[in-house]
Amino acid sequence: MASYIIRRILMAIPLLIGITIISFAIVKMAPGGPTALMMDPNIKPENREKFIQKYGLDQPVHVQYVKWLGNMAQGDFGTSLVRKGTPVSEMIANRLPNTLLLMVVSTLLAVIISIPFGILSATKPYSKLDYSVTITSFLGLATPNFWLGLILIMFLSVNLGWFPTGGTHTLNAPFSLWDRIHHLILPALVLATADMAGLTRYTRTSMLEVIRQDYMRTARAKGFRETKVIYKHGLRNGLIPVITIFGLMLPTFIGGSVIVEQVFAWPGIGKLFFDSAFQRDYPVIMALTVISAVFVVIGNLIADILYAVFDPRIEY
Amino acid sequence: MKLRKSAWLLLVLTLAMSMFLAACGGDSTTEEPAGGNEGTEETDAPTGEPQVGGDIIVGSIGEPTLFNPLYSTDTASSDIEGFIYNGLVGGDTKFDPVNSLAEDVQMSEDGLTFTVKLRQDVTFHDGEPFNADDVVFTYNIPLNPDYAGERGSQFETLESVEKVDDYTVVFNLKQVDATFHSIGLSYGILPEHILADVPVGDLGEHEFNTKSPVGTGPFKFDTWADGEYVKVVANEDYFEGRPYLDSITYKVVPDQNSLLAQFQAGDVDFIEVPGTDLETVQSFPGIQIESGLGLSYTYLGFNMQQERFQSKEVRQALTHAINREEIVQAVMNGDGEVAHVPESPLSWAYNDEVPTFGYDPEKAKELLAAAGWTDTDGDGILDKDGEKFSFSIKTNQGNKIREDIVVVLQQQLKEVGIEATPEIVEWSAYIEQISAPNWDYDALVLGWSMSTFPDQYDIFHSSQAAEGLNFVWYKNEEADKLMEEAKQILDRDEYKAIYGDIYKILAEDQAYTFLYYPNVHRAMPENLEGYEFHAKSEFYNIHKWWFNQQ
Repeated sequence: MASYIIRRILMAIPLLIGITIISFAIVKMAPGGPTALMMDPNIKPENREKFIQKYGLDQPVHVQYVKWLGNMAQGDFGTSLVRKGTPVSEMIANRLPNTLLLMVVSTLLAVIISIPFGILSATKPYSKLDYSVTITSFLGLATPNFWLGLILIMFLSVNLGWFPTGGTHTLNAPFSLWDRIHHLILPALVLATADMAGLTRYTRTSMLEVIRQDYMRTARAKGFRETKVIYKHGLRNGLIPVITIFGLMLPTFIGGSVIVEQVFAWPGIGKLFFDSAFQRDYPVIMALTVISAVFVVIGNLIADILYAVFDPRIEY
Repeated sequence: MKLRKSAWLLLVLTLAMSMFLAACGGDSTTEEPAGGNEGTEETDAPTGEPQVGGDIIVGSIGEPTLFNPLYSTDTASSDIEGFIYNGLVGGDTKFDPVNSLAEDVQMSEDGLTFTVKLRQDVTFHDGEPFNADDVVFTYNIPLNPDYAGERGSQFETLESVEKVDDYTVVFNLKQVDATFHSIGLSYGILPEHILADVPVGDLGEHEFNTKSPVGTGPFKFDTWADGEYVKVVANEDYFEGRPYLDSITYKVVPDQNSLLAQFQAGDVDFIEVPGTDLETVQSFPGIQIESGLGLSYTYLGFNMQQERFQSKEVRQALTHAINREEIVQAVMNGDGEVAHVPESPLSWAYNDEVPTFGYDPEKAKELLAAAGWTDTDGDGILDKDGEKFSFSIKTNQGNKIREDIVVVLQQQLKEVGIEATPEIVEWSAYIEQISAPNWDYDALVLGWSMSTFPDQYDIFHSSQAAEGLNFVWYKNEEADKLMEEAKQILDRDEYKAIYGDIYKILAEDQAYTFLYYPNVHRAMPENLEGYEFHAKSEFYNIHKWWFNQQ
């Protein structure tokens, strides 16, 4: 097992390098640049040149790439081109806790709601309950995040005043845990919706398959109660594919939250990524791309490991 | 002090739209001379004495970058710098400089020396006194060859800055500079006692700019919650008296939709309202709206490197073919004014005695025919020497008004036999395409924010075509000469006269097809008192704002 993990990690290195080359090239090929912000008669063309030279933007792309990779290997993501002098790692560190919080809460929310519904659905297939769960989850899948977010803000926040419109806490108010939670509910709910739909479907399908297995019949034949059959024998096997999904959900930490963070003014890394892309803040874009890529690799790794833990049939 | 500099990306991304050229620095504060309160709800006359207390939350789409007036170039940063720093001079309602940190400013006869006496009762936020050393220190930064910030052209005429005594400073200029008093002297003063040991080359990236900016302004820096807000609190020892408000929170909001929602829900107190949302905002209870002409204009520019746009008759014909009044009415709900010159009607230098080219498609056809453009093959599109009069009009994505304008232009130009195709490009890519050294466009729709002190050199002088901001390649020798001469003129009436001539030439030549001046609207709580509408500065005299809390 340990050797398998090490092998997987080693295999990830060339993969990550490949990802960085491609993303670096794409980012640099995008038209425009950080100096587009300097369209102002008070800014002399020489100053624009100075800026370009200072940050090495005039060097050939491969030179920039090697330099950047070298720095990054030493843990240095560089400094922002827009917020001059601010280390990229600091900017990300400032935002990461917000995103993590949102992600963890929304994932928990999705799990708590969707897995029981998925199981219920599977144990009573083609019942009224199953149909309503199915329809609801398809609706959840089909609803765009930003739309749902805006609708909730419109009705629950603006019209009814039940929830804040955005941000992480009430400004100019003393710290209060309830206030933080209050701000977290809507964005976490919106973010959970899409996950929930998927998770419910996966759970249902997987459980449905398990329920028909011979060992389930054997368990029933032995005289175990139906709940015990389902929750002891069925669940463990039924959830294996679902667990894999968690690993694969990890990469959406950055990408998945961009829209929701925009809509709810949630200061996380999704929003940072969005803003940096439009400002062509290359070091920030690259750092976040690399982190994303690492998440993808780690996510897959975790999925495989969990699989191994939960499914004794798998050997390495 | 208020630095409204070039627009930034975020602003543009969302909605704000105008690309702000701000030739103006510093405190140049333009107060709208008349009719400032066109808001739907009457502002109550201040009742009683101002009351101390209250926090205001200002909503902004742009996120600030750093708080050092010599290094930041975006609007959000400038807004916050305006709370934290003061310049030697500020601006009054008539674009005239007024003393701020300066007690007295004397210009020598030849206009080459400014002697500035400083106030002696000013302290920085950390309690250290402000004096001549701080001024000398601040102004020597952009003069230093290691200076790598993006502010600099304003200091090109500055030769040296010397301390005479603790409260007197002399500025020596290389040549006469009509803008120096109102703009050159308006930059925020930095504390020498904190930054003296920082090499100039490193100053732009120093922690001071992001973690602990210290100035002399009415508000002190308190917190910057990254991606969320910047908070400043009242400076108890402000030399013009403690501000009435306890704090200002500058909240960063992702886009225009959120901004409106947050304002409606009361999570944000003060916003700038785009004309397209004005009606919606007017219906919110408990608010007041202050409106007036903004200090900017939107134009249609033609790439004069292309032969077909080089003739002024053709450009006049294009303007005749465009119904600008309809654009203002239909696209902007009448929320603006048709423009004829690159100068605001609010400015003392405004001259409306210029040739104008109203909507007249027949005249346009005549002029085009005279220039050899006729429809020889009967396909409805004019042609000349086998070339069709067909081109694209670029503008930036995300600016709803401009996106609509290019579509209207397409329809209007079609009526005189010109085929114009709209092309919408993302901001950063757009700027790269249209400006030096690419000039990859036929025509474009863009806007400039205007300086409170008129100086068109950077935009219309022929020397600025190859690498500067004259990316339409407008060239006129006479205009060149006048713009150069104007730089040497210190007398305001003479300056106005010479600029009157420059505007006549620019209008006659149709250097741009000037489209319109937009209005600006600012919404705030009903009980906010002491607000003065200012075309350029949203937060003009914010230390005099107060909440009527009765």
